[in-house]
Amino acid sequence: MSSSPTSAIPGARFVDPKVLARIGNLELVARSVVDGFINGLHRSPYFGASVDFAEHRGYVPGDDIRRVDWRLYARTDRYYIKEYEADSNSNFAVLLDVSRSMGFGSEGLTKLDYARMLAACLTYLVHRQRDRVGFVAFDSDIVEFVPPSAKHMDTTLHVLDRLKPARPGSIREPMNKIAEHFGRRGLLVLVSDLYEEPDALLEAIGPLRFRGHDMIVFHVMDRAELDFEYADPSAFEDLESGEQIPIVPEALAGQYRDLVQAHITGLAERFSANRIDYTLVNTSAPLDHALFSYLSTRERLMRTR
Amino acid sequence: MSFLTPLFLIGLAGLAVPVLLHLIQRERKQVVQFPSLMFLRRIPYQSVRRRRIRHWLLLMMRLAALALIVFAFARPFFRGAETPASAEGGAREVVILVDRSYSMGYGDRWARAIAEARKTVDSLTPSDRGTIVFFGSGTDVALRSTSDKGRLQSTLASAQLSAGATHYGPVLKLAGSILAESTLPRREVVLVSDFQRGGWRGADGVRLPDGAVLEPKPIGDADTANVAVTPVAIERSTFSDQERVTVTAGVTNHGAKALDGVDVTLEVNGRPIQTQRVRIDANASSSTTFAPVTLTAAEVRATVRLGDDAMTRDNAFHFMVAAGRPVRTVVANRAGSRDAGLYIGRALAVGETPRFDLTPRDAESLTADDLQPGSIVVLNDVPVSSSVAERLTRHVERGGGLLIVASQRGTWPQERAASVPAIPGEPIDRTRGQAGRLVGLEYGHPVFEPFRAPRSGDFSAARFYGYRALTMQPGASVLARFDDGSPALVERRVGSGRVLMWASSLDLEWNDLAVKPIFLPFVHQLARYLAAYREPEPWLTVGEVLDPSRTLAGHPNDIRTVISPSGQRIALDPEGGDVVELSEQGFYELRAQATGGGPAATVAANVDLSESDLTPMDPREVAAAATGRPADGEGGAQTAEMTDATREATQRVWWYMLFAAAIFLAAETVVSNRVTK
Repeated sequence: MSSSPTSAIPGARFVDPKVLARIGNLELVARSVVDGFINGLHRSPYFGASVDFAEHRGYVPGDDIRRVDWRLYARTDRYYIKEYEADSNSNFAVLLDVSRSMGFGSEGLTKLDYARMLAACLTYLVHRQRDRVGFVAFDSDIVEFVPPSAKHMDTTLHVLDRLKPARPGSIREPMNKIAEHFGRRGLLVLVSDLYEEPDALLEAIGPLRFRGHDMIVFHVMDRAELDFEYADPSAFEDLESGEQIPIVPEALAGQYRDLVQAHITGLAERFSANRIDYTLVNTSAPLDHALFSYLSTRERLMRTR
Repeated sequence: MSFLTPLFLIGLAGLAVPVLLHLIQRERKQVVQFPSLMFLRRIPYQSVRRRRIRHWLLLMMRLAALALIVFAFARPFFRGAETPASAEGGAREVVILVDRSYSMGYGDRWARAIAEARKTVDSLTPSDRGTIVFFGSGTDVALRSTSDKGRLQSTLASAQLSAGATHYGPVLKLAGSILAESTLPRREVVLVSDFQRGGWRGADGVRLPDGAVLEPKPIGDADTANVAVTPVAIERSTFSDQERVTVTAGVTNHGAKALDGVDVTLEVNGRPIQTQRVRIDANASSSTTFAPVTLTAAEVRATVRLGDDAMTRDNAFHFMVAAGRPVRTVVANRAGSRDAGLYIGRALAVGETPRFDLTPRDAESLTADDLQPGSIVVLNDVPVSSSVAERLTRHVERGGGLLIVASQRGTWPQERAASVPAIPGEPIDRTRGQAGRLVGLEYGHPVFEPFRAPRSGDFSAARFYGYRALTMQPGASVLARFDDGSPALVERRVGSGRVLMWASSLDLEWNDLAVKPIFLPFVHQLARYLAAYREPEPWLTVGEVLDPSRTLAGHPNDIRTVISPSGQRIALDPEGGDVVELSEQGFYELRAQATGGGPAATVAANVDLSESDLTPMDPREVAAAATGRPADGEGGAQTAEMTDATREATQRVWWYMLFAAAIFLAAETVVSNRVTK
């Protein structure tokens, strides 16, 4: 496994995503990325995990006998159940965009491949925190749904493994449905290429935010989409609609880059104004680089809360 | 500069191709899949499409090469270079052909034609030679190959219109022979005419010598209107023993406007006697029938006349109406038999053209009056004595006709056998078995010629139960045979007369021919042939030849003088054999010695009515046919004169153009490679 020395983060092992893509097993990918990442980080991964004791209460039939405090029984000869302040593990779900535009990749690795690995890593990471993991894949509708559960990591990885971009995407309708499924507060990670107007996006994820979910948005972009380094005049075909437009790249690359930059800036501004974490992920950059930037941001945000 | 194949210039539209390639096509050569055109769509489309041209030099070179190729295929040539080598110098032999057919009398055509001819004469240089030929129905070389312009001009000044019709063929042949005899280097024919379609009957061998030029000088009018009288139809009838004729005249309107109230007048002996008013549609004909006219004299001059229009010559149609001269016919029947001559007598009595003046007579009592020249004698089943046979032989020798019906009793003395076609022999009985039929008819002979066409008469319907075996005499010919091969009708010419012998009867005694429909026309045809009857021609056409011997059959050699309608006296050779060409419209009088210099006969002459149709043709057609080269437009004459080498020289530009295009393409390749690097 090759490592990239270009990172500014000390001790972190950044693996080229193209190399990772060659590993067929997502769990292996996730483990190698996350373990290495954590080791390099020299920080405890167990932040935020709470087991605060609250009170004892009398046993009633139907309670799980595993929750009986046997020590107290030994002292008092009565059955008591131990109550905690709250559940230490929270809900976590990745919302993955699998629309056809995600199938684009200029250097062999498609955006969906990259997003798949990212989702696997996050799932693995969170699973190791003993949180419940869930997963939703959507395009213009919900394609796959794995409800959050502590036992669902394998299922999630399996579902992730077989995803294929098939249909054009839209974000509003799936978000509405997802909001209905996720009743309990949790952490939702949206992974998409976000080809929507910033305001429309905010409006689409509004129902999730209003239910108290914390949102993290990974904006996955290919390098070709960002830099637009095409040379020959060609007919450009929209992957989602099939529409073609004759394009002379050299004539409008500058304008295009400006527009994309304006879009990214607009997204960042609006998300941050709404306390949504926004991270632009370039698929040519190492995966753990994205993870690190997310986690550091996350930690920073947690501290400020 | 002009082009031989200008249609190729459409290829210039192909010049757009490199421009389009430059501007559009390059953008579409591959399809790039892109996640979303969301941002690209926001960039104004014009900035994508209207790409500026970067390599002007390349584009210009491509365009120039394409344009040159297209122009080369269009085969440009230069009119300035058309002047043929032979026109550069040398004396000319110019034959001026002036149409003087009567259609040139339409409006001021004749004056314009003469003016045009004069202009041509004026253009002659002292070394040139000119010939003037006037033509119509015939050709008239007025002045041959002279450089004396004064004489040429005076010839033109004294020229007169004729009554003839246009015929281009003979005059072009004549011009060709005049040019062929010339030794001058340049040879030209100038054809001054109204170029009527009717005058051109195809090239038929007309070909000017090589290098000769035909320059047409059309003298025409844009809009022409002309009314003409067409040949009349004459119907004869008899009323109270007097012969009457009914004249039906036709009028043709060769104009694009319908004419209402055209007066058509019938003149008899110069006096108008009836006028009818007709309406004629545009480009149509109409006819009118006059009331019957009783013939008061043996010969009547008649004219159908119209009012004047732009061309007067075809407004009158002259014709002669002669009282029908009956053919004197003597029928000698068998004595004692009432019905013997019934059928032949009745048949001849109803003859109309000609009428037969029927006289029944005993064979022995034929008078000198009966045996006039031109009369016919029918011996219907009678024995002939030697003396009668001798008289009849003399009659036939003088031009009379004799029909011998052999039948049962008919005989001819053996010693006079040389004057008959056959001697009747034994009767052949066909009452048993199959009756005889008439076969082997000589349809080429005048007697049977009218029955030649299908459904013109059926001789095979008649049954023959008896006939005489004929012993043929030398010099006789068989015109019809019975089905057993024995002769039925035989002929012999004796002197200037004819003798026919019929082997069966002409009543119902031996056959039933007399009750078949064919009988009447057959008997009429026999009689007409024996009388050498020929219908008089009511009119002739200008340009035809008048043979006095045919016109006055009785005493041909007596005609000494012919007086033309204009009063010109034409003396004929007293020995006979002279003919007169009809050149004027009107009545020609033939004066004979016997009548003491008075008119013995009159002949009507009319103009050729094909000339009254003024529809013009393309003069270039004549020029092309005469020179064998296509003439084009006003420069046609010059083009025709060009040699092959000259023609090639004037069109050679295309070759240079292709060469230049090749150079441009090569240069384009070099520049394009350099630019791409």
